[in-house]
Amino acid sequence: MSDTEAVSLTGLHKRFGANEVLKGVSLRAHTGEVIAVIGASGSGKSTLLRCIPLLEIPEAGEIAIGGETIRMRAAGKGRVPADAAQVNRLRSNLGFVFQSFNLWAHMTVLQNVIEAPVHVQGRPKAEAIAEAEALLEKVGMADKRDAYPAHLSGGQQQRAAIARALAMRPRALLFDEPTSALDPELVSEVLRVIRALAAEGRTMLIVTHEMAFAADVASRAIFLHDGRIEEEGPPAQVFSDPQTERCRQFVMRHLNR
Amino acid sequence: MDFDAYFQLIGFGPKGWGALLLQAAAMTLAVSASAFAASLVFGTLGAWAKLSGVRAAAVASETYTTVLRGIPDLLVIYLFYFGGSSVMTAIGHMMGHEGFLGLNGFTVGTLAVGVVAGAYQTEALRGAFLSIPKGELEAARAVGMGRLLMLRRIIAPRTLRFALPSMGNVWQQVLKESALVSVTGLAELMRQMHVAAGSTRMPFDFYITGFLIYLALTTLSGFGFRAAEVHTMRPERRS
Amino acid sequence: MDTVFLAETMGKLLAGLPLTIELAIISISAGAVLATILALFRATSPIAEAIVRGYVFTLRGTPLLLQIFLIYYGLGQFAEVRHSILWPFLRQPYWCAILALTINTSAYGSEIIRGGLQSVPAGAIEAGRAAGMSRLLLTRRIVLPIAIRQALPAYGNEMIAMVKATSLASIVTLMEVSGIAYAIISETYRAIEVFLCAGAIYLTLNFLLTRGLAVLERWLNPHLVQSRT
Repeated sequence: MSDTEAVSLTGLHKRFGANEVLKGVSLRAHTGEVIAVIGASGSGKSTLLRCIPLLEIPEAGEIAIGGETIRMRAAGKGRVPADAAQVNRLRSNLGFVFQSFNLWAHMTVLQNVIEAPVHVQGRPKAEAIAEAEALLEKVGMADKRDAYPAHLSGGQQQRAAIARALAMRPRALLFDEPTSALDPELVSEVLRVIRALAAEGRTMLIVTHEMAFAADVASRAIFLHDGRIEEEGPPAQVFSDPQTERCRQFVMRHLNR
Repeated sequence: MDFDAYFQLIGFGPKGWGALLLQAAAMTLAVSASAFAASLVFGTLGAWAKLSGVRAAAVASETYTTVLRGIPDLLVIYLFYFGGSSVMTAIGHMMGHEGFLGLNGFTVGTLAVGVVAGAYQTEALRGAFLSIPKGELEAARAVGMGRLLMLRRIIAPRTLRFALPSMGNVWQQVLKESALVSVTGLAELMRQMHVAAGSTRMPFDFYITGFLIYLALTTLSGFGFRAAEVHTMRPERRS
Repeated sequence: MDTVFLAETMGKLLAGLPLTIELAIISISAGAVLATILALFRATSPIAEAIVRGYVFTLRGTPLLLQIFLIYYGLGQFAEVRHSILWPFLRQPYWCAILALTINTSAYGSEIIRGGLQSVPAGAIEAGRAAGMSRLLLTRRIVLPIAIRQALPAYGNEMIAMVKATSLASIVTLMEVSGIAYAIISETYRAIEVFLCAGAIYLTLNFLLTRGLAVLERWLNPHLVQSRT
């Protein structure tokens, strides 16, 4: 157990009905690392990311956040968290950015950003607002702080959602295909924000289809195939000189598009 | 129709029924509001039972909504009025009280109209809960919200907003159904109209007055609900 | 539980069933005809629309019980009514109840049918016109059949509401199921047992109505029934 281990996954198995999506995945993300997770759709990469804050509950394997293992217990055919309070505490140490933004529609941008700091982490409201304003400034959304999500473009919603994730002062940021739901002309504004965060030295796991972006921003790339890690290494190697045939084909198909 | 005589009859003069009618209208509003509040309680329980994933609870709630939407409200009022009285009397006997104990009309109206409207409220709330985008609930879990916090901060406000239009319909229904509570003798509008009509032998004058008062109540409260809808749905609407 | 009393009560209540069914069938049918006429009339001119809107607005904004009382007790206040040829009908609670129920359901029904009419695709009407159909023929052969199919599910709910509403006829002395139920309760004070029996009768009635409508819907929409392959 080390202080520099932000997220540690060991031997994760996850199935949906008869379909085994994760077949034993282990992964360590050290503080400051930017890990790009790539793979074809159905390879299990989103499921892997969603297992980290237990949005999906793996049937087997261990998840640790900042060195603290999430305790599970058997229930019926599967497992459930043994301590809901622990899960909620560890979740509030992570920032999750969804493909479809998932902003709370009845709250303004600012209210979305301060919601968890104030109500989950119990921080003073004035402090949360001051920090939220700085974060909105950083993602270029300061002028939209009082707008409701329905009045924003997809790119603006996603940048607000990133500010919401940052407001938790997370140990790690998890991005689940953050640009897949965006119109092409809105992708770059979101990628720019993520790139700036990487440059700050934040710990990030990014599931993405944007190969060029992944190659550029990541410190490590992971290629997932059929529920297993097929190839792993520095982006220069995974994207330019893949060791496995499957990874080579995948990268060829996606880089030349 | 002799309008001078009519306005004397329903006016506030010495021979006018105005003050009584006004009181009765207030009673109609009070029993309706009370029944509506009860329907929210029944509806919340019903919706929660249907969504809980517990099979027995879902079956019980399904039975509740099917039965109460399939039988006349009048029968439900009789059940609470007469049945409630026999239950109360029995309890009274057990506690050493001799004689007959009754549920008053207001309580009967609140419970009976409330339990019927609760069946419709159940569907309204269930539908509203199901229309919350799943992602918003997932986002709440991802930031570490516990069940209660999520209920208070995300689920309750979102459900209320989505349910508001149907709740407006339920309110209108409750306001109209409250007229049936007159069979218990509660001095609400319908009952007071009937008494006035009988004692003056001017039934048309009074019933048409009642007609207009109900119309005013349903219309005005309709505006109220519409305004609330516009206000709360503002964040949802695209400009 | 006292099964003898239950059986006895059931027997007495069932004697009121024919009247309940009669009230329901007459007012639902007459109401549907009136509703269709209102919905079609509404589309003819702005004045017609204003009239129908006012009609729907006042009837949906007031309690049915009050509408029954207004007709049954209220109209008799006027000598002109008492001396008119309609008086033999208007003095009878039976006809007053049917009149009030019919008028009431026609208001709700016309809104449902209006919704159905609005859902008729413009293309279907155009195609009829192109085939040389007259307005009347178009309405009868194309517009109404499509509108009624669309409106049927919502109209089913209105029919169930009407079956329940027939119980109000008991307040103007008609001895249908609810009227008999009231009489037995006030005689025996056994409200729960009587409620169970009467409730079972109405539930059965509405269940049969729902099933009947489902069959009708399938029969009217053979194109929506999945063919077995």
